Amino acid sequence: MQHSSSKSSLARRIAVGLVTASTIVALAGCATAGSGTASGPTEITLSMQNPDVKTADPATWAIVQAFEKANPDITVTVSGEAVAEHLQKLSIAAQSDTLPDIFWVYKSTAVDMQKAGKLLDLAPVLDELGLTDKFPASTVSNFSTDKVIFGVPYQGLLTGLWYNKKVLADNGLDVPVTFDDLINVAKTLSAKGITTISNGANQSSFSVWSFLVDLDRFGYQDKIQGILAGTEKYNNADFLRLYQHIAELRDAGAFASNVSTQTYQQAVDQFTGGNAAMLDAGVWASSAIQDAGIDAGFWAGPQFSDGVGDQKIVMNVASAPFAVAAKVGDNAAKLAAVKKFIAFYYSDEAQQLLVDNGQPPVTTYAPQVDATKQGALKAALDTATAPGVTSPETQPDLIVSTAVASAMYDSIYGVIQAQLTPQAALELVQKAFDAQ
Amino acid sequence: MVWISSRWKIVVMVGPALILFSVFVVYPVVYSMGFSLTKFQGFGTPEFIGFKNYLALADDPFFWQSLQNTIIILVVSIVLLVPLSFGLALLLRRKIPGGAGMRALVFGPAIIAPILIGLIWVFILDPKIGLINRLLAGIGIPPVQWIGGDILTPYAVSAVFIWSSIGFAMTIFYAGLQVLPEDVMEASSLDGATGWQQLRYVTVPMMRETFAIVAILLITNVFKIFELVYMLTGGGPVHRSDTLVSYMYFVTFTNQQYGSGMAIAVIVTVLSAIVSIGYLVLSRERKIA
Amino acid sequence: MTGTRSFSGTRLVAAAAAYLVTFLILLPLLWIVLLSLQPSGNILSNPFSFDSLTLQNYVNAITSLPLLQMYGNTILIALVSVTVGAAVSFMAAFAFTRMVFRRKRVQSSMRLYVLAGLAVPVYILLFPVYRLDLALGVFGTYAALILPYIAVSIPFNTLLLTGFLREFPAELEEAAIIDGAGLWRLCWSVVLPLMRPVIATILIFNVVYVFNEFPFASILINNPQMVTVSLAVSRFQGQFTVDYGGMMASATLVLLPQLIIYAIFQRQVIAGLTVGAVKG
Repeated sequence: MQHSSSKSSLARRIAVGLVTASTIVALAGCATAGSGTASGPTEITLSMQNPDVKTADPATWAIVQAFEKANPDITVTVSGEAVAEHLQKLSIAAQSDTLPDIFWVYKSTAVDMQKAGKLLDLAPVLDELGLTDKFPASTVSNFSTDKVIFGVPYQGLLTGLWYNKKVLADNGLDVPVTFDDLINVAKTLSAKGITTISNGANQSSFSVWSFLVDLDRFGYQDKIQGILAGTEKYNNADFLRLYQHIAELRDAGAFASNVSTQTYQQAVDQFTGGNAAMLDAGVWASSAIQDAGIDAGFWAGPQFSDGVGDQKIVMNVASAPFAVAAKVGDNAAKLAAVKKFIAFYYSDEAQQLLVDNGQPPVTTYAPQVDATKQGALKAALDTATAPGVTSPETQPDLIVSTAVASAMYDSIYGVIQAQLTPQAALELVQKAFDAQ
Repeated sequence: MVWISSRWKIVVMVGPALILFSVFVVYPVVYSMGFSLTKFQGFGTPEFIGFKNYLALADDPFFWQSLQNTIIILVVSIVLLVPLSFGLALLLRRKIPGGAGMRALVFGPAIIAPILIGLIWVFILDPKIGLINRLLAGIGIPPVQWIGGDILTPYAVSAVFIWSSIGFAMTIFYAGLQVLPEDVMEASSLDGATGWQQLRYVTVPMMRETFAIVAILLITNVFKIFELVYMLTGGGPVHRSDTLVSYMYFVTFTNQQYGSGMAIAVIVTVLSAIVSIGYLVLSRERKIA
Repeated sequence: MTGTRSFSGTRLVAAAAAYLVTFLILLPLLWIVLLSLQPSGNILSNPFSFDSLTLQNYVNAITSLPLLQMYGNTILIALVSVTVGAAVSFMAAFAFTRMVFRRKRVQSSMRLYVLAGLAVPVYILLFPVYRLDLALGVFGTYAALILPYIAVSIPFNTLLLTGFLREFPAELEEAAIIDGAGLWRLCWSVVLPLMRPVIATILIFNVVYVFNEFPFASILINNPQMVTVSLAVSRFQGQFTVDYGGMMASATLVLLPQLIIYAIFQRQVIAGLTVGAVKG
């Protein structure tokens, strides 16, 4: 008797327990699911590659604020994660059709998304808004496949080597022009224990911008179609010379001894702290350099006497694009709001906001730069617009798959860190191409 | 015990755990195993390619390097951690002033998110700015490449793993010591056993399950090491210090080769299970012998 | 005389050793606190300076993070997932070690089936769980995280509980059954009190897991209102900027409540000891 009564009481208690637990779960769910979509302002979501957009990407933040002010009937919900999580989240969301409305994404990923039908074709939108002619032609062609435009430029990718004028002058050095000059700088500085080129591979193997430009000084732009088609090799005599030059730089003591464990952020700190002569980075670093009070110049990179083609080039292209989710096209209100946002982003007002926050404009707009407060930015923009200087159409890693791009980064840092011979480095990249 | 074991009672007792576990762990694993047999970039339709992803790994030097690193970390960590943490549990079990406080403090590292553990230790191990090399420089010893060099990184990762897990393992040993029946311990003391004899012939044999628990948890945790390596070196230079999971993360999310990444993940799961079972079998045989 | 002296001698050595080990283990923790008080610029260039310590990083962390909301969310998720997880695991573990199955093989293979979950790295689960959450309609709710957290805790809890239950003699329970106790009373009034140190250990580990869990939280939380503390530290890591000071300060802020929770449960572990000693 006693036994059977406790049996039923057990069942009852378990049932009560489970019901309580599931109620809590359900309640917890309701509590947040409540905020619905009434007919009020239209909401568009913007998902970025920084967790704290306000401080890490003030240009985008300023544009969103100005946009919301100009369009009180539209709210832009900005969210973000660190790059790795951001991409991870996008790839999972794309497979489940839960992409945000507008988002920052790498071009190669955008191409894959476009192929899978996840993105809105922006060609009609840009035509309607009359924006197509406002961009440099290479930007549009870069973000389109056939006639479909899958992305619009987010910010500029103007890269090169920042140099600290004081460090060079204190050591009796001029700003180098050729690669031989650079080797001399490295030898002189390493004898005194000073790092020539500050960079860091830890969690930022992509921070090899100045060497990617160098690939274009060895004919990358002409070779890449052949390499992709399999008629030419990445592992070729021209690139081999470049990789050998990187090894020469390494042997001349140009890099920090802790380049493997240093992150990109640490590399920037090393430069802004006055402990390195140059920083491998891009225009986005101008604010940090100005804030640190460094008198810095911007150098497009070395000219190679044994290079291929034009040596007077500077990398000045559009960086990773904004893409728009395909499902935005199904919602008229959202589509209208997104169009307004795009129109605003490329207005002269917004482009000037980019410049005010240390970014070059991505349209053909000629900006106002305050040389006293934005010395570094001005130096970079002047380098990009100097007479006789041209830019490649795109950065070498942006026209290959992510796997090949990683292999390119690894190959360059592999030589810098003395892990790979120039030959082995080239083979690593070639293998990644072959695997496609 | 038969008394309380009617069929429906068993179902009620094991049902909730089995259902939750099957839906949110087993089903996802099976699902991902399916992906490991496909070529999949993360979008569009996966293309079935059989075991090609697995075969390609056999040819991938970075995969073998990461496997080797994982094994080094596994051996170093287990060999040192089990005795160290057991010793610490015995030590903290003694009546020492402030003992309870110390147990809480020793557990401290186990509370920190792995990503932060990596970050703190960068500042300690970094060859240029790290604490250790600064101290060594003070006594005239040239800098050592603890991390980011050619050889030492996996050992440095083991050291950090030991630091971060010792409180965790100690706590389990400590709980195990508490569950030991007091009368057996008293009896053996009265029999005149010395502390060492008691430990060797009474405590350790009675705690066989606890040792197995700790060993299995440590083995499976070593196979999951990711954030430590990610923060210390990012797997570099050029994947030289990657572990299996950090390399899997690179392949899956950085390279967006979802199919290959899942193939590595499946291998990690299987290896980790095999090593755990292997440990159990070996420790059982030793007992019989 | 000599006996007492050598006794107190070993005691002294043990105490000294314990203090030393504790200090060594603690050192890196103090390091976080020191770094969190450094101005951001100093952390990389001059982390050992004591000249310009500041609370600025804490001010930044507190003003830029919705800390209260983060704690609230985390505690809610931890409370539900840890309670349910521990309860279902305890029931299963009891069945795996104490109940009599008609076929013994079924019992031991069920236990192994659950334990195999320990070998699974979380990244294998991310994508399928995301889709499951969508399919079950819980995406965007707390349940989206709670359900996988419960499931992932089951293998660990089961390992600990079955291990300790096996080590612990069943005599008491047999005596209780002879006294006429049913399943419920046996679980709740006889076995559970004996297992208190283990349950406390499990609860601590589970809570720590929820506080630190990053991969699921970063993928399954879509609503800024629902972020958990495990995401706090990553807020300071941008594409081209990392605020190390902010990371250290928020790390300290995440750590403190956990240490307090541990200190509270620590007492339970000791309380469990006395119950075990009194027994019968």
